[in-house]
Amino acid sequence: MSEAERARANFERFARGEPIAVEVGEIERELGSLWQQASQAGGSVVSRAVLWNLVVPTRGQAGLEKTKALCDALAPVVPVRAIALCIDDASGGSALTATIDSNVVSQPGGGRVVCCEEISLVGPPGTEAHFGAIVRALQVPGVRTATLWMDAAMPSALLARELLPATRRLIVDTASCGRPIQLRDLEALATRAYPRPVADLGWLRLESFRLLFAGLFDPPVGGGPLRHASRLTVRYRAGGDVSALLAVAWLGLLLDWKPTRAAETSDGGLRFDFERDDQGQVQAFLSPSGAACDRSAILAIELVNGRDEYAVIRTAVDQAEVRLPIAPPRTVKLDAASDAELVVAALGPRGRDPLFARSLTYAARLWSLEPRSAGSRR
Amino acid sequence: MEPRAPAPTLPNPLREGLVAERIPEPATMVIFGASGDLARRKLLPALYSLTRDRLLPSRFAVLGFGRQAIDDEAFREEMRRGCEEFARRRPLDAATWSGFARNLFYQQGAYDDPAAFQRLSARLAEIEQALGLPGNRVFYLSTPPSTFAPVIRSLGQARLAPRPEPGKPFARVIIEKPFGIDLETARALNHQVHEILDERQIYRIDHYLGKETVQNLLVFRFANGIFEPLWNNHFIDHVQITGAETVGVEGRGGYFEQAGILRDMVQNHLLQVLSLAAMEPPVAFEADGVRDEKLKVLKALRHIPSSDFDRQVIRAQYAAGSIGGRAVPAYRSEPGVDAHSTTETYVALKIFIDSWRWAGVPFYLRSGKRLPKRATEIAIHFKEAPHLLFGRRAETIRPNVLSIRIQPDEGIALNFGSKLPGPAMEVAPVSMEFRYGTSFGVEPPEAYERLLLDCLLGDGTLFTRADEVEASWTWVSRIHKRWAEETAAGDTNLPTYPAGTWGPEEADRMLAADGRAWRLP
Repeated sequence: MSEAERARANFERFARGEPIAVEVGEIERELGSLWQQASQAGGSVVSRAVLWNLVVPTRGQAGLEKTKALCDALAPVVPVRAIALCIDDASGGSALTATIDSNVVSQPGGGRVVCCEEISLVGPPGTEAHFGAIVRALQVPGVRTATLWMDAAMPSALLARELLPATRRLIVDTASCGRPIQLRDLEALATRAYPRPVADLGWLRLESFRLLFAGLFDPPVGGGPLRHASRLTVRYRAGGDVSALLAVAWLGLLLDWKPTRAAETSDGGLRFDFERDDQGQVQAFLSPSGAACDRSAILAIELVNGRDEYAVIRTAVDQAEVRLPIAPPRTVKLDAASDAELVVAALGPRGRDPLFARSLTYAARLWSLEPRSAGSRR
Repeated sequence: MEPRAPAPTLPNPLREGLVAERIPEPATMVIFGASGDLARRKLLPALYSLTRDRLLPSRFAVLGFGRQAIDDEAFREEMRRGCEEFARRRPLDAATWSGFARNLFYQQGAYDDPAAFQRLSARLAEIEQALGLPGNRVFYLSTPPSTFAPVIRSLGQARLAPRPEPGKPFARVIIEKPFGIDLETARALNHQVHEILDERQIYRIDHYLGKETVQNLLVFRFANGIFEPLWNNHFIDHVQITGAETVGVEGRGGYFEQAGILRDMVQNHLLQVLSLAAMEPPVAFEADGVRDEKLKVLKALRHIPSSDFDRQVIRAQYAAGSIGGRAVPAYRSEPGVDAHSTTETYVALKIFIDSWRWAGVPFYLRSGKRLPKRATEIAIHFKEAPHLLFGRRAETIRPNVLSIRIQPDEGIALNFGSKLPGPAMEVAPVSMEFRYGTSFGVEPPEAYERLLLDCLLGDGTLFTRADEVEASWTWVSRIHKRWAEETAAGDTNLPTYPAGTWGPEEADRMLAADGRAWRLP
């Protein structure tokens, strides 16, 4: 195949969004060449767009496929230059391999096309030492870089040493923490990342519940009942301990509760005791359940103040019942967003929520009180 | 029944960090003209979308008031159809709709019937008691302009809109456009309204101000360091503001005959946009700070002298033509339109603002019906570079244009010259574009969503104040007066433009005389 034929074949594959193998050192030049051909191919205008460099470290072919699917879903909404960095135990040889592919989005009417690109680098363990230099070379200048750190099992040194210096926003997913002890690792990571904003997809998944629960205390109820809360129950899907801890941490933080003690409960959950700022006592129960739930893992938040109860209780995967003493219960929609939608939110203003870092610190503090925190859950 | 005073509430600490840190207090919105098109196409869909986004209080009711004799259920069904068709948040979520619809009510009555307002008062009290609402009320006047004063008078007589007092429920009134048909009627209406209401209870709505790009104009100008230093007569050659519609009078010939495009589009929408584009930085981003600066612009609009009138004001009517591949009739052939009508469907204006910032910079405004495409934009045309280095290639160099698209496809584009690749120094215009939908990945909220929410929160920044309305009518009424004189003198021959074109040749000549041309939006 002649050079011209190879270039044409590559362009056709590129235009179809198929991956093209390229030399690692030639990625930028190949991309430039392919986009130039795209602009000469006639038809509609080609806009090569990028609002973020999005670096996604991942492990294994399955992780890479998941990353590619996420980038495909992001492209119509936020054009990014996605740089997937994959450590693959099954990768043959000792060198990194690179592929590039396009994401082409036709706008309504077909008049315009917004295009962005994905670069995938795959290598065996050990090649991650090269990732930092490659990311620095491939960042589109003048465009912010976010690192999507979704896999808690990835070597944290890669992030700390190689990627964090180039990162303006760190995006994590607490839902990927299988064990609450990993909250401490994330807290350490957030501290290291400071002053860069840290966004958490798990925190964003909680937002729907937080909004509904906060809404119970809008006027005319107001914040009064919260001051004398005596009991809080967070019911969650078994395995969603981290989400439940974050939900309790959110309330404890904003209501200025001081955690004093933790204990196990007979249903396999946890109980935390708090002291309110008026020296009153609050008991919080984290209660696991086998009920169906979305990835937020939260089934209910119930707060008792004397005889009054304020609660948001999931009644279906996408519905909840809202209860408060002064009105009949009502059913409301619970929003569930895809990971791609959450990443879009994390790249926007909602990804700069300082309350997450404070809640994470508070949740890690709660976990340090937990009697099993040094035991089996590690 | 007197509204109950709400118990003082403590702030909600759980709102910290959430998308909506402020949620309006529980309230009832009474929509006068609830069986009309605006309620079905805009107001209820906006309220539904706000509910869906959880931006309204959990306890919120809507009481529609209209002449049509229907019951609550029929009203809910009609509004459901409207929301299904027009709400930004579609398809409707069954649970959200069910909760929302449960608090929709309807009351039949005439706008000038005091007994109907007594019944309205009783129904409101009944709803508020049943839903535990504290008596906060917003009255939306989506009715013909002739009913504004009678409705407000009736609200006063029925004690439904008491003046604000600390610790008491609020009563606010949203008034749709047009606010008056000239300076005298606007002044008279302001006077009648002020007999019942405080100015801070009045929210004169101009939905253009609720559009994201119009609000972004302030952010664009005052939150970026690079534009404001150029935003003056040293760097700007002229400004074009276009409000183009493809539609004709759409069965409202009778209304449009009385209005004309100058009243319908320019006096409110385009002069508001102009005032935001031309105003000085406000001291603070709060209602009166912004409105004070807009008012200064409106007061600085230079009155057009008689000698220049024909060179600075062009009016025209559309003739038969074609829009979107179908033939459309001439304005004078539209139903409800006088065959000898002198009502303008197009107007082009050359305006000067007498201020240091804008001395010598013309603002060209144009608005028309049956133009080739629907587009509203502000185009800032910068001056040419002081010295052109590129010889004959300079012919292709065009001055920079910053265009701010208000609708559709809200966004901003900057045109500049760029070297064409190759050995020669050829220059070609290129464009850098920002589009809301693409850049932020979210569809901007509908203008009415933002404005209804602002009113419920008591924020009047995006509403028009009495003195602003009077200042714009002061300027516009002089043009109407001149046209009335011309008509009285028998001059009824308006220029025409075929439907589907960008207006009459006279408008092109107005700019050509200044060595300029209209930009294609």
